[in-house]
Amino acid sequence: MKKILLLAIAISTSINVNSQTAEEILTNYFEITGGVEKYAKLDGIKMSIKVNQGGMEIPFEVTQLKNGNQMTVINFQGLELKQGVFDGEVLWNTNFQTQKAEKSDQESTDNMKLEALDFPDPFYNYKEKGYTVELLGNEDLEGTETYKIKLTKKQMTVDGKKVENSSIYFFDAENFVPIVIHSEIKTGPNKGMMSETKLSDYQEVEGLFFAFSQVQGIKDGVGQPLTIDKIELNPTVDASAFKFPEEIKEQGNKK
Amino acid sequence: MKKLILLVFGFALLPFSSRAQNNSSIELKNLFGDLRARHIGPALMSGRINDMELHPTNNQIIYAGTAGGGVWKSNDAGTTFNPIFDDHSQSIGAVAIDPNDPDNVIYVGTGETWTRNSVSYGDGLYKSTDGGSNWKKLGFDKSERIANIIINPKNSKEVYIAVLGALWSDSDERGVYKSSDGGETWRKILYVNEQTGAADMTMDPEDPSIIYASMWEFRRTAWSFSSGGENSALYKSTDAGKTWNKIHNGFPDGQLGRLAIAVAPSDSNVLYTVIEAEDSKRKGLYKSDDAGANWKQLNNDFGITVRPFYFSRITVDPRNPDILVKGGLTGSISKDGGKTFKSLGNMHSDIHDIVFDIHDSDRMYAGTDGGVYRSWNGGTTMEIVENLPLSQFYHISVDEAEPYNIYGGLQDNGSWYGPSSSSGGINAGDWSSIGPGDGFRVLKHPTKNIIYSEMQGAENVWRYDVDNRLVKTIQPLEQSGYEDLRFNWNAPMAISAHQPDRFYMGSQFLHKSEDMGDTWKIISPDLSTNNSTKQQQVDSGGLSMDNSGAENHTTIFTIAESPLDENIIWVGTDDGNVQVTKDGGKNWQNVVSNVQGLPSNTWTYHIEASVHGKGIAYAVFDGHNSGDMQPYVYKTIDFGMTWTNIITDNVIGTSRNIQEDYENENLLFLGTEFGLYITADGGNHWERFTKNVPPVAVHFIDLQKQTNDLVLGTHGRGIIIIEDISPLREITTEVLKAKLHFFNSKPMKLSDESGFSGSFGSETQFVGENANRSPQIKYLLPKRHTFGKMIMEIKDSKGEVISKLTPGKSKGINIVSWSGTIRQPKIAKGKTLAFGGFATPRVQAGSYTAVITKGKEVYEHSFEIVYDKRSSLTSADRKMKYDIISKMYNMTEDLAYMVYQIDAFVESPKTKGKLKLKLNELKKTLVITTGDNYVSSAKPELREKLADLFSKIIGSYDKPSNSESEFLSIIENRYLKAKEDFDKISEKIKSKEDIKLKTFEEFTE
Repeated sequence: MKKILLLAIAISTSINVNSQTAEEILTNYFEITGGVEKYAKLDGIKMSIKVNQGGMEIPFEVTQLKNGNQMTVINFQGLELKQGVFDGEVLWNTNFQTQKAEKSDQESTDNMKLEALDFPDPFYNYKEKGYTVELLGNEDLEGTETYKIKLTKKQMTVDGKKVENSSIYFFDAENFVPIVIHSEIKTGPNKGMMSETKLSDYQEVEGLFFAFSQVQGIKDGVGQPLTIDKIELNPTVDASAFKFPEEIKEQGNKK
Repeated sequence: MKKLILLVFGFALLPFSSRAQNNSSIELKNLFGDLRARHIGPALMSGRINDMELHPTNNQIIYAGTAGGGVWKSNDAGTTFNPIFDDHSQSIGAVAIDPNDPDNVIYVGTGETWTRNSVSYGDGLYKSTDGGSNWKKLGFDKSERIANIIINPKNSKEVYIAVLGALWSDSDERGVYKSSDGGETWRKILYVNEQTGAADMTMDPEDPSIIYASMWEFRRTAWSFSSGGENSALYKSTDAGKTWNKIHNGFPDGQLGRLAIAVAPSDSNVLYTVIEAEDSKRKGLYKSDDAGANWKQLNNDFGITVRPFYFSRITVDPRNPDILVKGGLTGSISKDGGKTFKSLGNMHSDIHDIVFDIHDSDRMYAGTDGGVYRSWNGGTTMEIVENLPLSQFYHISVDEAEPYNIYGGLQDNGSWYGPSSSSGGINAGDWSSIGPGDGFRVLKHPTKNIIYSEMQGAENVWRYDVDNRLVKTIQPLEQSGYEDLRFNWNAPMAISAHQPDRFYMGSQFLHKSEDMGDTWKIISPDLSTNNSTKQQQVDSGGLSMDNSGAENHTTIFTIAESPLDENIIWVGTDDGNVQVTKDGGKNWQNVVSNVQGLPSNTWTYHIEASVHGKGIAYAVFDGHNSGDMQPYVYKTIDFGMTWTNIITDNVIGTSRNIQEDYENENLLFLGTEFGLYITADGGNHWERFTKNVPPVAVHFIDLQKQTNDLVLGTHGRGIIIIEDISPLREITTEVLKAKLHFFNSKPMKLSDESGFSGSFGSETQFVGENANRSPQIKYLLPKRHTFGKMIMEIKDSKGEVISKLTPGKSKGINIVSWSGTIRQPKIAKGKTLAFGGFATPRVQAGSYTAVITKGKEVYEHSFEIVYDKRSSLTSADRKMKYDIISKMYNMTEDLAYMVYQIDAFVESPKTKGKLKLKLNELKKTLVITTGDNYVSSAKPELREKLADLFSKIIGSYDKPSNSESEFLSIIENRYLKAKEDFDKISEKIKSKEDIKLKTFEEFTE
């Protein structure tokens, strides 16, 4: 930890703050958080997270794999409810009422396929993914000097129309990690509002640094804090856990 | 070099030292942190709209440029809107979309253009190239108001803007400007003189080198308005703005006033103009069929000619040159090329702009004094957009109820009061009307359920007995021996901290009543300058007479009785006097001449009589109606004999109001035309408060005494509340040096208040954000925390950790809310969810400690939790309730552990079949083992019954009832029986050692 900070200070003092390019900032970011080589070796990440809603603790686990598979497993009273499960082709959720799996609409699924490229980090090999970055400038973010970097990913589809899929990352100018992310909400009742994720408590896991504390919400609103208790790298996960349980097909086969 | 620095230093110190209030120096920059504001609207009457703008190809996207509430964008064809311009001036003149890149490039010209008396002003032109997420300023700082922006549809680089310019003064920053590089540089291409601005502009839809622009000679003072003159004219350019010619063939003779111009999108030869002329017969709508070469008058109906300074917009149907609409008192539509008109459907009066949908002319959107309206049938029926909280308050006040109420009056939208908090959020139905017309000051009687409200010019002052629903008008009437009374449009009223029934009103005299307005006594001479040249309102308006009372002048505008001494009364007048009496009105002294650096006759907008000393007062002056946009704020400590300037250079915009803190004399809150400013060192350093407070005109501020909530009455974004500003009181130079400083907290209540939230309609209606009533831990961090672990735990008086919270990591003030509960009990696993099992029990009243661990450092803060008194439970009741809940909590977890063991035994291959059967039979009585969470749910078993009762008792404000206790004993017996059965079966299981069971502690962790 101390080493990392020293490195950060060394980098920030060796390069004039104003002359940083987006590329340099990202290079520093990867350097500080563990090195590109370590990111390259990642096959998967599993995070154990807790949210506290009005005193009620809800634990859940988020798993993301290199091949784009991902899922969130929420533990309610010992029952595991899977949400946002993606096996590379099908995106599905567990219906809370029936506790059965249901597929998401095709547009969400198609957009999820694009998201799969984000692993292990949206900025990792961003050019090869077809993403672009742009340094919008420096910004004093509530007393912390930051670099404002716009990340534009492949266009997503909203209500049948292709729309820009971009986020603004505020990198702490002192230690080159993102501390706030802004993205315009593209679908649903909050469409048009700006989502805000605040990141902190960067800690090391096997040589890589992750933000263990996140606050998610709408910009200028009150956010919901998430606390990450544990991050497991390259977890062993059964591939079948991501598969959509094909109830309808099974019945058809039986007949 | 050194010399130069010293010199600069010297200059910097000069004004500073002459102004210094105290030795401390506190900069609040970046310290506000979690001290964010919440908006409560209301939106039911919305607010004034200046300009409507449509996306050229996507009819789901609509923009509303508002008079005082910024720019709002709809992505759903006008069903709902979101603000997209909250970091800049909220007074908007024009919004324009680049037709070549409509998803990304937006221009916003600030400063509203319908120049009523209470009009605000902007600060230039802005551009976004990312659909409104980020904005860049393109100059025109002194433009005050921008009427139109046109982007060449064939060349995005070519942009024209019509700058109407300064309303209250001469200015050369007006006329038509052109940019050929997308707004980076500009050339002035049409200019007349310092009194004449560009009021309207349009471009030929076929040929972008043809531009039409109307120039308008106009001026306002605080006491008059003048529209028209020799220089008003309509111009045409056919060479992209290089040369301009007047196109007046067929126009009326004599002076002209405001002129509107529109070209039919489907036939560029067809033009319409609305002319304000000297001869009232020749006013009205004119049409040209030859691109402006000749004009013919078609109509001079009231709807077309009414108040040209306020209504001048013409919009032609994009598909039919004979269908056009005109803004007005009701709005008018013609379907025969302008020969005849009918009114648009019922909606809020004063229609400023109307647009037709790009695909379907039956779909229309209108911007009014009361928000945006939609029509689906060509303007016959209009429906209001319900989520635009743009209310324009002139004044607000608060009471001492719990939750407290907010009272205030609005531009053209009456007077209202509503709660600061309500079940499910503060919605339209929570607001009550307390007077029609334009609303201004609204005050609650200090002790009785009586409200005072008024309409413009004190034409009516109402006293409303809320309980008995009795209304009486009580405005002061003429008295013998006195001249006619002159009341301001926004006439001042005041109550007393000493005599609850006392009520003051100000005309040019100060009127005092000791019986709630039944009997009035004049207790001053004329306190204004009584300058007769400023009393000619009957001649006001220019070419169109406009004597609405809005220009009434030489009147009292602010009244403040000292909270420390009822004989000390301060009065400020709109013509710049500051009068004070120390003997209840027998003798008055005008002390404004002691105010150094203040231009004479600058409007005394507000006087705040301090609670910190009888001689202490603050005076806020507003010079904008003579074109002086500087803020002026002064403090006196000697009854006005001397005044100290307490403003700093970074404060921007006309000053409107100041509110002092009741405890810390150096903590002050200032409202200007561009937002809220706060100082913690008596005015040595002011910092704009940005946390969810846009740079909106803050007309009035109140500080609610019980909650320390700062309540802002804004002129464009409704009521904005910053909850509990008390942490700001504690910020000192010492506190700022601490690694982490916990703010003091008074005992925090576990509120028993609840209710039913009628959320009907909230899908598309604005719902005001509620107060946070949770206990809160507040601390100051000198620097944002980014690397390493930082956690917060709550410990009880025994030192046991009872809750883990995620602390804030921002620089400045952090606020962490705690629910005042412990974690929900671990509940037995069943086939479905036990919904009662999500209830979290409350802690007992007492002492608790918040512990923050940040790396190796540990910080602790003790605080008190107290019960809510409203449920009137005794401490014995509380104890009984707590004991019962604790018992049920333990029983729930014991049952969960039992089911866990049963599952483990059943899963073990070594458990014999017979025992498995018995275990499964037992389990079926303990938890639901079939069905789903909805209509296939099974009948509740022990777990569900226990959880539901647990949740019922926790959710009640009351102690457990007899029937609840009785039911609990049934559940308890059933539990004990189950336990006995389980123990018996468990004894027979031989293979226990092979089954690696978690301990109870491991299981419940």
